[in-house]
Amino acid sequence: MTEPSEATAAADPSDPGSPAESSTAATGLRSVTTRATLAGVGVSLLLIVAIVLGSRMLRTFDSALLPYAVATVFLAFGVAYRYTVWISAPGARRLFKQGWRSLFSMENFRKAPTALPKMIATYLGFQKFLGARSHARWAAHQLIFWGCVLAALITFPLTWGWFTFTSGTGSGPGYEMRIWGFKILGFDSLNLLGWLMFHGLDIAAVLVIPGASYFLWRRMKDRGAATGQRFAYDLVPLIALIVISVTGLLLTFSSIFLHGGGYQFLAILHMVSVVFTLIYIPFGKFFHIVQRPAAVGMQLFKYTARENDEVFLCRRCQEPVDTGPYVENLRGTMRDLTLDFDSWAEYCPRCKRVLRGSAYLSHVKKGFK
Amino acid sequence: MMGRTIFIDPGRCIGCQACVSACRECDSHRGKSMIHLDYTDEGHSVASLPTVCMHCEDPVAPCAEVCPADAILVTADGVVQQADTTRCIGCSNCVNACPFGVPKIDLQAKLQMKCNLCYDRTAHGLAPMCATVCPTGALFYGTVEELQAERPGVQVADTFVFGETEVRTGVAMVVPAERVQWPVPGGLPVVEINGRDVRR
Repeated sequence: MTEPSEATAAADPSDPGSPAESSTAATGLRSVTTRATLAGVGVSLLLIVAIVLGSRMLRTFDSALLPYAVATVFLAFGVAYRYTVWISAPGARRLFKQGWRSLFSMENFRKAPTALPKMIATYLGFQKFLGARSHARWAAHQLIFWGCVLAALITFPLTWGWFTFTSGTGSGPGYEMRIWGFKILGFDSLNLLGWLMFHGLDIAAVLVIPGASYFLWRRMKDRGAATGQRFAYDLVPLIALIVISVTGLLLTFSSIFLHGGGYQFLAILHMVSVVFTLIYIPFGKFFHIVQRPAAVGMQLFKYTARENDEVFLCRRCQEPVDTGPYVENLRGTMRDLTLDFDSWAEYCPRCKRVLRGSAYLSHVKKGFK
Repeated sequence: MMGRTIFIDPGRCIGCQACVSACRECDSHRGKSMIHLDYTDEGHSVASLPTVCMHCEDPVAPCAEVCPADAILVTADGVVQQADTTRCIGCSNCVNACPFGVPKIDLQAKLQMKCNLCYDRTAHGLAPMCATVCPTGALFYGTVEELQAERPGVQVADTFVFGETEVRTGVAMVVPAERVQWPVPGGLPVVEINGRDVRR
């Protein structure tokens, strides 16, 4: 499959356009690439600075976790690069701006102060919309989501040397948890809190494995899911999640039941799978993790217009099309893309079809004969 | 125009809705019909118009171009797929930008769905569900040569005009021989609404 932009570029190779147009397009592409590269480099450098400062000039940085930390720097570059390219496209750019505008509008905030937190909780956290697609998929996705959130909250700060667990006696059972050198809490590693603290990643793996396994099973069995599926895009992310989780659990298994047998090999296998997944995030299906939060802006943009009764009615049948500002925003996007039939967006889909049918009936085949 | 594609002949459509029912059986959107069957002059004429995704080729898939989430992918064989469930945010950009009024939206599920030429079937050489069951041949699946062998002298058009803009599509419509050199009118500019002239 090709992305629309690639497909557009490949639409008609015999018609390269005028030299001026080609040159403008090439300049535009270069400027997006330059901006994206600068954003990637900037974010990566910021992360390196944050790692150095957060680990108190690398004093609390665990050198055994260096490959993970390096992978997160690559991840930061890739995510910032792709995000910049993504929001440079007309459709995303316009909605992105409108989303932020709605977010920072004091008037909107006064009218509906709870709208944003509610959307974040129901849309990003509990993902109610997935329940409307399928209850089983919702449950499986929730398992993966909360497992990954838990794992990320533990591993990223650990990898960067921001979290430390230290024991005054050297080997416990009393431990102190510190963030950026500041003591947050002390706990006994032998009680429940201690067990939870030290097995957080095992819990995350136990959540992720059934969720990812369900999706993998579905991709093998469900003909709808299998339609047009691609190994690298649809299956690799699930396999990666399962490999990370299983190798992570095996590390715990090795230390408890095998007295550390095979730990070195498992640790390397686990590290390789995690590093691969982190570097893969910006390029594949996992990019939706970074992309999805921006959709809250789109919803806020529509929500605030609806609150103001700015509903746009179809010019023909008077049925609601969408909100007025949204239709205007779409028309702007269409003009940006030189889709010069943007006035058509003021008609509902049914009226477009009926008007086309009427035109065919009266101008092409009289009476459809 | 794609090699094997759908040819729509509204003149043959009897509005039986067999295509609508068959579309529900498509594995890639089970239980939901993606084909539209509209009565263009309801109350005055029995004329009906089946609408499948036209798989726009030039400009390539306006629905995909306006998508803010890059959710609509186009396969190398020119089929415009329905939205990727992982990416689609249910914004309706595609629904309202499509010049043919094809995509549907489920606002609860925040998901766009549309005709994907029964990709689970056509990717394996089978005809789409709608064309398989159409009793009158209003929806024909095959090549132009196959169509013309079955219906000698028939002509098809794959270019539609919306105002000043022409859209070339992967799916084509049957047109009279004398009309074949002209693009098919897409309905824009709108000349009348509910019997009232709106050209002024």
